[in-house]
Amino acid sequence: MNWLKRLGGGSLTLYTILFFAFIYAPIAVIVVYSFNSDPVNMMKWSGFTFDWYKQIFGFTNASSEAALYIESTDQLLAAIKNSFIVAAFTTTIATLIGTSTALAIYRYNFFGKRFYRVLMFTPMLMPDIVLGIALLIFFVGIGMPLGIGSIIIGHCTFLISYVFIVVSTRLAGMDRTLENASADLGANEWATFRKVVLPQVMPGVIGGALLAFIISMDDLVITYFISGVGTQTLPLFIFGMLRRGIKPEVNAIAVMMLLFSFTIAAVGLYLRSRKK
Amino acid sequence: MHDKIISLDNATKRFSLPEGGKINALDAIDLEVSRNEFLTLLGPSGCGKTTLLHVISGFVQLDEGQILIDGVDMGETPPHNRPVNTVFQNYALFPHMSVGENVGYALEIAHTPKPERIKRVGEALELVGLGGYADRMPRQLSGGQQQRVALARAIIARPKLLLLDEPLSALDRNLRQSMQIELKNLQAELGISFIFVTHDQEEALTMSNRVAVLNGGVIQQIDTPLNTYNYPANSFVASFVGASNLFEGKASRDGERIHIATEHNEVIEARARKDQHINGGKVTAMLRPEQFSLADGDENRAEIDVTIDQIVFLGSAYELLGKTTGGSEIKAIISAARQSRLAEVERTKTARLSYDPNAVHLIPGTGDVQ
Amino acid sequence: MKGLSQSNRQRAQLSLLLGPVTIFLAIFFFTPLLIMLIYSFLMPGLYGGVEWIFYPHNYGRILGFADPTFEFFDPVYIQIFLRSLRIAATTVIITLLVCYPAAFQISRLKENWKNFSLFLIALPFFASLIVRLFIWVLILKKTGFINSTLMSLGIISEPLDMIYTEGATILGMVYIFIPFMFLPLYASVEKLDWTLVKASQDLGANGFQTFFRVILPLTMPGIIGGSILVFIPTLGNFVVPTVLGGAKVLMLGNLIEQQFLSARNWPFGAALSMLVMTGVLVMLFIYIRSETKDGDQSPATK
Repeated sequence: MNWLKRLGGGSLTLYTILFFAFIYAPIAVIVVYSFNSDPVNMMKWSGFTFDWYKQIFGFTNASSEAALYIESTDQLLAAIKNSFIVAAFTTTIATLIGTSTALAIYRYNFFGKRFYRVLMFTPMLMPDIVLGIALLIFFVGIGMPLGIGSIIIGHCTFLISYVFIVVSTRLAGMDRTLENASADLGANEWATFRKVVLPQVMPGVIGGALLAFIISMDDLVITYFISGVGTQTLPLFIFGMLRRGIKPEVNAIAVMMLLFSFTIAAVGLYLRSRKK
Repeated sequence: MHDKIISLDNATKRFSLPEGGKINALDAIDLEVSRNEFLTLLGPSGCGKTTLLHVISGFVQLDEGQILIDGVDMGETPPHNRPVNTVFQNYALFPHMSVGENVGYALEIAHTPKPERIKRVGEALELVGLGGYADRMPRQLSGGQQQRVALARAIIARPKLLLLDEPLSALDRNLRQSMQIELKNLQAELGISFIFVTHDQEEALTMSNRVAVLNGGVIQQIDTPLNTYNYPANSFVASFVGASNLFEGKASRDGERIHIATEHNEVIEARARKDQHINGGKVTAMLRPEQFSLADGDENRAEIDVTIDQIVFLGSAYELLGKTTGGSEIKAIISAARQSRLAEVERTKTARLSYDPNAVHLIPGTGDVQ
Repeated sequence: MKGLSQSNRQRAQLSLLLGPVTIFLAIFFFTPLLIMLIYSFLMPGLYGGVEWIFYPHNYGRILGFADPTFEFFDPVYIQIFLRSLRIAATTVIITLLVCYPAAFQISRLKENWKNFSLFLIALPFFASLIVRLFIWVLILKKTGFINSTLMSLGIISEPLDMIYTEGATILGMVYIFIPFMFLPLYASVEKLDWTLVKASQDLGANGFQTFFRVILPLTMPGIIGGSILVFIPTLGNFVVPTVLGGAKVLMLGNLIEQQFLSARNWPFGAALSMLVMTGVLVMLFIYIRSETKDGDQSPATK
């Protein structure tokens, strides 16, 4: 009986290791092969090279055979720039609106509070393709040109919800008697908000903003429909490359993107665990 | 300078029930607390004691009646403008501030200059035995230490009245007992009035100048701990404060002797106090378990035969649980020093108990006792 | 007087806090959805655009009453709809089966290992979706990692057909949506009181009985929550079938995309979107129903 149990526990451990392997082995493969020198068959190992990384950073070696495969570094850089602009504006707007909504629902009792709670979940649960085409029809209908502006608005519609939920969760975990304690010690409403509520909700606001930033940087579907011609973001750029055929430097771009988002996520999660 | 630090007159608060209707959380409460008094509000949960505390601190507005603090009407005054501070039940320490920042919060809000603030924070922490802890974070402290920080934070602005909302309930037994004594000493040292809320009757009796027993939003009795214990005003107080044996019956008077005949046909003997008028009719007599002893023929003591169901060892004493021959339940506490007689009781399952008729308390208002 | 001015001030604060979200969502969320709904009932114009004529046949083309002047009813649309449902359901079941044992094992690890494992599972969620799909293209394609490796080892001589199949599409979906299933599932498993499992065994239940009578019902909220979170983005997905399914695995999302970006039949695309939205709303409705039913039961069992 005992050995059976141990076997059960052992196989579960083995299973969990396989589970993590399923998640991370593909990532390991792409990291390794981003240093593969074979320009034709990227997945057939033929030697180690930094060429693809050099190319995406613009240090093109003209004599290299690989130069034939370069998309346009300018296009890539423009896409990265657009992505950052969109993410920066979206994060700012979504964080402001999402946080103030969360505060309103936390602090006040008003008619329609329940309605707002449900309302804030709907954009997040709306399939992105539905939201994407609804926005496309809308922007074209009102004659708004598609581009950076429309992408920012589109991202905000659903990222407000994300920020709202992160901040609300933080607020819900707050001890309401702390506000009473502050009032009891002589602080008026505004002082209590500034000295007690705000410092405690701040990790939630930062967490919500980081999440909004990452999701905005990564959004493909909604951006795909409302970007119009000529405005590319990083995910769109890669999606386009995938449709046209894969070039070796995409590997290097992909690894850089993984590195970037993993770093932000790791910093965010680390900050959160430390705040506890 | 008013003699009464706080006075409540006809204080009434109603809450609407979720299923409709209203409940009186406080029902026409009259209460006065003197300067430098330690008053305990004692009662079961839901009796209105926390509501009463919130009325004083300002988090709950009265529906009817008046509240004066140091002679000033506080009906319209918000919590942050009242000269009252609170030690909260779960301490409510700000988790994002250090111990020093927590304690100095009230001074910071009042724009006290920094050097003075630091000095007074140091003194307050010193007073509660936490000198040198100013830079720690609350989560690094034990429950007892957090409790002291909450206390230091509440007294630093020198309130006229300190409210303590079950501050010891989260501490373990030993720590709770030592904190009871410390709180009492601190109150004497500071010279400010304390209102202490608890559901623990032992705590109430140990610490207070006066105890107010609450039930159903009404003050059942307000008196010294000794009088509350020995002369409960009604059967609720009798059974909530300490254990008691209650005998309901018809009283008859013979000189200063009173006999209470219960429906189980026992007769309990009592002595009339000077101020009591017994005219017959139904009364309730109360005897504390520790007032029983094993009968040894002393003629000044009344005796009663009991069959014993259970003997429980309590350490310094034994608790006997049994019934009289008539069937009334009896609880008696007998000193463990009487080992040999207890052995006999255990064998025969019967005991003859004696009590002093002078110790029998006739609860007023239950009949014609006044 | 004082109370009145205070409530006025509160009302002003409240409208300042709630105003932006109300205006923003009314204009950029609800209006577009409403316009889309209207579009789905309009006649498609000849060269893109719409005619303002009521035209139910956008739905008819999918559900079986096609406009007889243009075309016969083509069952291809309902096939695509059913395929999307099938792929979404399969993805839900596979992610559930993959995550359930792992959630149990991880919930029983020591605190540090537990937190680290959760971190590892949440991490890919933050990584670019398109990059994670791209990885699988490189692994599965004809000259990809698996084929190259197997061929150089001499195990196979001809490359296997793995990419551009329904299987590859489902694999991609599972890979992307694992965190969506795992985290809600883990939240329920973590909450599970193991003494209940011991109690069940103590009362004579064997492993299977304990699992089906105690563990499964108690973790049901996580199972349902995770399933919904996976189902919603899968049903209308067009990126995964585009990248890993190719032309052969057409899902609702691909069909919608075609109507907007190549066929220029916006009303039909809008009608298809309404269908996706309905599917999602039905799922949410079932979820809310099951939640409230649980809520009704709990006081009785207490």
